[in-house]
Amino acid sequence: MTDNAKRSGPSREWLLHIADLEDACPSVSVGGMACDFDLLPAASEAQRVFGRLIELARRKKNLTVEQLAVKADIDLEDLVEIENEEPIVPQVRTVFQLAHALELPAGRLMEVAGLAKARPEVNQAALKFAARSESTAKLTREEKEALDEFVKVLIEVSDGG
Amino acid sequence: MSGIETFVQRRSDKELVSATILEGMAATDLLVVENEWRAERSSVMQELLSAGVARPNWPESLHWDWSRKVPELQLLASTGFGIVCEKRWQGVMITKSAGYFTRLEPDKGKPLLYVDYLEVAPWNWVIPQINRDGLYKTVGSTLFWRAVQQSEEEGFHGRVGLHALPQAEPFYEKVCRMRPLGRDASKQNLLYFELTRQQAAGFLKMGESK
Repeated sequence: MTDNAKRSGPSREWLLHIADLEDACPSVSVGGMACDFDLLPAASEAQRVFGRLIELARRKKNLTVEQLAVKADIDLEDLVEIENEEPIVPQVRTVFQLAHALELPAGRLMEVAGLAKARPEVNQAALKFAARSESTAKLTREEKEALDEFVKVLIEVSDGG
Repeated sequence: MSGIETFVQRRSDKELVSATILEGMAATDLLVVENEWRAERSSVMQELLSAGVARPNWPESLHWDWSRKVPELQLLASTGFGIVCEKRWQGVMITKSAGYFTRLEPDKGKPLLYVDYLEVAPWNWVIPQINRDGLYKTVGSTLFWRAVQQSEEEGFHGRVGLHALPQAEPFYEKVCRMRPLGRDASKQNLLYFELTRQQAAGFLKMGESK
């Protein structure tokens, strides 16, 4: 730390001038370190599939993002990050709570989320699901079929051990 | 932590309010910041969802978690700065004073100060879609002013480099007078900006009567 006791900040004139300029450019975010930290890499395939699966399963139950966060007792921020397919590995508790709230097999959901080694059947179903689903406001017939088929595989794999 | 007295402008009445630029933030300070900002970010997110604002239009730093920057702050060449007003952290910046070099002539190859992170508190964000006007202005600009000062103190003559998030590109080009030097594939394709010593002098003198 340095001794700043005698230093002063920018002048009032500078502040007033810059305040006017800021009106047209309100955002100031700099994030170089996010890249160094790998906080902003592209989402992995697992994260994309997991995010899409949670979103479609939620919409099938006619829940808003906020309602699902409350029902699953998880942070709204965490749920938005998941559905936004952001490159963040979800916590085990979050995945477990979501599985319970959406009536999905928790063990298999861990695999889809990348928290456990995925079985080949789950991987294959996930890839097929990713290729067929698109993010839209309303669940289309194709999305519903894709979701149902993926969930069916997850349940079958669960039953089969 | 040492401090420099300054002001920030309250948006509602344009009054300048006393604030302090603090230098030498510790890991615990970043944890306090994250604690204070997280609740506000959550409110912002709920308002955006309720208003049906499309996600590409959300603030790009909405997901940042400042507590995750703690290890970086502990590096020798890193310095954490913050602006405190009314007992709350209004903005935070982390700079690096080693390992970064100027790309622009005439000082090409000479060291510069790299701004690794800079953000203002979520209650200062301007988000028209949800009628958020932001509480204080000049927080980000004053942190950048401090970066230019630090560059001079380090002997870098005001040279500064940074990678801006897309929504902030106009700020660094038009307000800070930095020059965009192209997208950087090694930094998630963010646009890299540099401030030369001449531009730094102009930035610090803005508002002076001629």
